[in-house]
Amino acid sequence: MSPHRVLTTGNAMTARAAIDAGCRFFAGYPITPASGIFRDMTRALPGRGGVALSAPDEISALAYCVGASLRGALAMTATSGPGWCLMTETVGFALMTETPVVIVLVQRLGPSTGAATQGAQGDLDLVRSAVSGGYRFPVFTPSTAEECYEDTLRAFAWAERLRTPVVLLTDKEVSTTSEVVDLAALPTPEPVQRAEWQGEGEFLTYRIEELTDVPPFAPVGGPDCVAVTGSSHNQRGDLSKDSPEALALQAHLEAKVAAAEPALGRVDVDSTEPAETLVVSFGVSARACRDAVSQVRSQGVQVRFANVRTVSPLPRTALVEALAGTRRLVVVEENHSGQLRALIVASLREELSAHEVLGVNRAGRAIRPQEIVDVIA
Amino acid sequence: MSSPDSLLAPMAEPYCKGCGHTLIVRALARALESLPVARERLCITSDIGCVGLIDRLFPTLHTVHTTHGRSTAFATGTTIADGLLYEGELKNVVVIGDGGAYIGLLHLVAAAQLNVDLTVVLHNNQLFGMTGGQASGMSPVDWTTPTTMSGNPLPPLEMIGLLRAAGATYLSRELATDPRLPERLAEAISHPGFALVEVLEICTAFGVRYNKLTGPRLRELVGETGEPLGVREHRQGRASFRQAWHERHPETTAAHTPSPPVELERHGLTAPLCMVVAGTSGERVQSAVATLARCAVAAGLFATQKNDNLVTQGTGFSLSELILSPEPIHYTGIDRPDVLIALSEDGLAKLRSTGHLDRLAADGLLLADEGLSGLPEGDSRLRALALRRAAGAKNSAFAALALAVGWRGVVAPSVLADAAERAWGAKARRTVKAVRWAEEILG
Repeated sequence: MSPHRVLTTGNAMTARAAIDAGCRFFAGYPITPASGIFRDMTRALPGRGGVALSAPDEISALAYCVGASLRGALAMTATSGPGWCLMTETVGFALMTETPVVIVLVQRLGPSTGAATQGAQGDLDLVRSAVSGGYRFPVFTPSTAEECYEDTLRAFAWAERLRTPVVLLTDKEVSTTSEVVDLAALPTPEPVQRAEWQGEGEFLTYRIEELTDVPPFAPVGGPDCVAVTGSSHNQRGDLSKDSPEALALQAHLEAKVAAAEPALGRVDVDSTEPAETLVVSFGVSARACRDAVSQVRSQGVQVRFANVRTVSPLPRTALVEALAGTRRLVVVEENHSGQLRALIVASLREELSAHEVLGVNRAGRAIRPQEIVDVIA
Repeated sequence: MSSPDSLLAPMAEPYCKGCGHTLIVRALARALESLPVARERLCITSDIGCVGLIDRLFPTLHTVHTTHGRSTAFATGTTIADGLLYEGELKNVVVIGDGGAYIGLLHLVAAAQLNVDLTVVLHNNQLFGMTGGQASGMSPVDWTTPTTMSGNPLPPLEMIGLLRAAGATYLSRELATDPRLPERLAEAISHPGFALVEVLEICTAFGVRYNKLTGPRLRELVGETGEPLGVREHRQGRASFRQAWHERHPETTAAHTPSPPVELERHGLTAPLCMVVAGTSGERVQSAVATLARCAVAAGLFATQKNDNLVTQGTGFSLSELILSPEPIHYTGIDRPDVLIALSEDGLAKLRSTGHLDRLAADGLLLADEGLSGLPEGDSRLRALALRRAAGAKNSAFAALALAVGWRGVVAPSVLADAAERAWGAKARRTVKAVRWAEEILG
């Protein structure tokens, strides 16, 4: 038995991974069920040469982080649905200005204030559609405390690599329920580095050659003069709304994320055996799926389970692979309308043309394994 | 227009003829040129509105053009990061209009409270210029605009007074036409801490069009819209955010080293055991369960703990669901509890309302304080004991858990006492006593 097994939470593992990834700036505003991250970062950062701030609201919390990131710091904030709603203006700014930042969104029951201590998975559409123009940014969905660690590392790595906001979309159960993590089995964090401007030729704040390029970064306060702007701009950062260069930069915002889809996308499939049914889920519901799938397998049902770890951009490549040979798709999620199901159906229309597509949906309480068994057995 | 060493771009300012913004931009350029600060250490963070066109007028400085009203918040983040994580030499100047200042009021208040080392140049032209001249929260009373055609009925917000109340250490009110404006701006930018200069002007496109204005009218408006002109606040005593941070975090402290893990010999579980403990908030229900969970993990088991309580946290019920299992745990809900523990009336009511009581396994255990009303009589699964009397309210959860794990053969009950002693030392005396009482009952 590993002496490194500890009882911990998804929130604690998220904070731990942020520190390990090199995050040195955190700004937060208290909200259940995300406050544990705020507390942990406030305790941990000052002793590690970092800074954790209390912001007067969520708008400020994310704006502080984006401001710090413009100076060069790896920055993170954490919130829940009501706070996310306030942050979306700044998410758009971070996306437009190509400023890396990590936002943890711990889902709770909505709409509005909803229920602070009740879990849910209802914010998938809200997060995916946060930015005017429909531009995408990476959204990762861990289902265990250990995956919170892993996906937080991924979030920082991709935020820096693509110069984009990244959301770690968890839920109350995954983030606040204590469970066992073997610290010795965690992945080793690789140092996260922004592609910095190397000083060849003239510096342009938004310099790209190809649409899928990521402009090299120079910090505010550094030797190269940067012109950051949330308005439509050319490569120099001048206001420009309809020049070919400005339009190309807008297309580039989508193209750089879309091109990274195969590498960004992650779907953990639990079996390569032939299967009739593919069960797809994420977050807390993925946990119930694991129990349901092992139960029906013991009864001889041929089933495969896919835990989706990236919900934006939708990991099309990996999902097509997971579907191979199946005739039925069951998508399990803790919301009424089947947000992930709708997304998969819209995106894999052709691949699913002969499939029976079913959903297991509840809101207000976690989905029980038996409710999934009833559909797939 | 610029001289050869000017920071201003050699181009005409983009503002309307006679607009005060032009005067402010020129004054700001002269102020920045007069300071002994390298160009790469200067940043202009701009807001939305005509003021937002300022960026390209300073082509050799860092510029950050932000969203409406939020400029101060972005600049706060940049400046704090610079001060604490980098060289700390950045001079950040926020340019914002009266409309932006009003929608982003909280960011200004917070920056003043933090006393972050940045300077806000508030271009107060009494209305929203870029969108057609609508009244702002700082427009004068009786001001005529397209949205106040019969005169603005509201008093203008007194920004200087408001930010003084928030702890601002440098505040001044100036006229855009004042030839001393460059010196005032330079003084504000040099001030270590939050500084705001409200510069008064009248929008030539809309303010002049809709209102009867003569030369002295702007000067009259000063009195009607706030405090007299000049430096209204200039305090040196209050520590800037950066100084205050360093005073409170004097040096890098060593990273937390966790206490060495405790390994227990063995556990007695061959299948998952689902327990729900319910009592009253403040009676250490959740911490007792956490203590047991850690002991179980040390003995090689998997464990999940899920807590619930009222949002007010310090009152009403407190409930904790614990699953212990020799195998990894996926679904963390408890649909068929093996052990229920009711420690108080609040707790018992919660076990009822959540349905846990109805779903107790046929071979399950309901362990309850004997003083509770409405316990199911004649149910062979019930064990009612004097938990609260014998162990005390705040240790009854420990006593009950010791009994439950003893009866179910999970781990030796004494590990709870050992763990409590390790965690709380001498303060664990009553907890140890409670566990010993349980051990006596177990025999």
